[in-house]
Amino acid sequence: MGKHEIRMRRQRLTARGTERFRNYGDVLKQHEQDKRIKKIVRVFIYFLAILVVIILIVMVQRWEKRERGKGKKVEVAIQNSECRS
Amino acid sequence: MTDEQIRKEQETIERSKKDPKAFGEIYETYFDRIFNYLYRQTDDEELAGDLCSQTFVNALNHLNKYEFRGFPFSSWLYKIAGNEVNKHYRKNKGKKIFSIEELKVKELVEQANEGWDEEMVTQVIAYMNELPTEMVQVLELRFFEDKDFKEIAFILDITESGAKMRTYRALDKLRTQFNIKVKYNG
Repeated sequence: MGKHEIRMRRQRLTARGTERFRNYGDVLKQHEQDKRIKKIVRVFIYFLAILVVIILIVMVQRWEKRERGKGKKVEVAIQNSECRS
Repeated sequence: MTDEQIRKEQETIERSKKDPKAFGEIYETYFDRIFNYLYRQTDDEELAGDLCSQTFVNALNHLNKYEFRGFPFSSWLYKIAGNEVNKHYRKNKGKKIFSIEELKVKELVEQANEGWDEEMVTQVIAYMNELPTEMVQVLELRFFEDKDFKEIAFILDITESGAKMRTYRALDKLRTQFNIKVKYNG
């Protein structure tokens, strides 16, 4: 069974009837606006991507620093135990 | 459309990819057809106007993705227009409407024995209301938009044989149930 409705129209739509909807200027304006929005979104995504990369680099560097610090503490602990013995 | 016309149209489209103002020529050529197509699927002039604008905006926004596939550019516009209509009905969850001109129906249909009468019109409409929506879509493109099956398949994203099958089944029933012969050049 169809989920639609058929309506019979007695009058044909004339060119005059469609004239008030014909406006290429509006179409062009909307297209320019959409282009601008697309550009902004693209720039924002690139910026986010770069930010994520920077954050990752900083995190990795901090982790390396912490690991180096842990390594030094272990070395000092070993030296101390050797001195005591 | 002749090969020469298709070639000229493709040139205009290539120009439009670099200069959107050139697309105005395509807009003027196809505006009425797309508007009428949308009006037949909405029965609402304002809505058809909005969807028509949106169709051309979408076409312009994605013009760089357009590839010539042996059909006039209008087929791509019909495809986009159809998608806009479907989007509208999905969003508004209403019944899809097909608004067809009585004169057009009379031009297409000839009765075998009796003259055209109001009762017959009511019966044909009732019959078309019972058909699956996909069948009515194919009939509309075939008989009101004069599209061939290859184009219909492209527009509706179905196979050519699928488009033919839907049409033949609908016409078969019309013939047997209402003794109506449709002027059909298959």
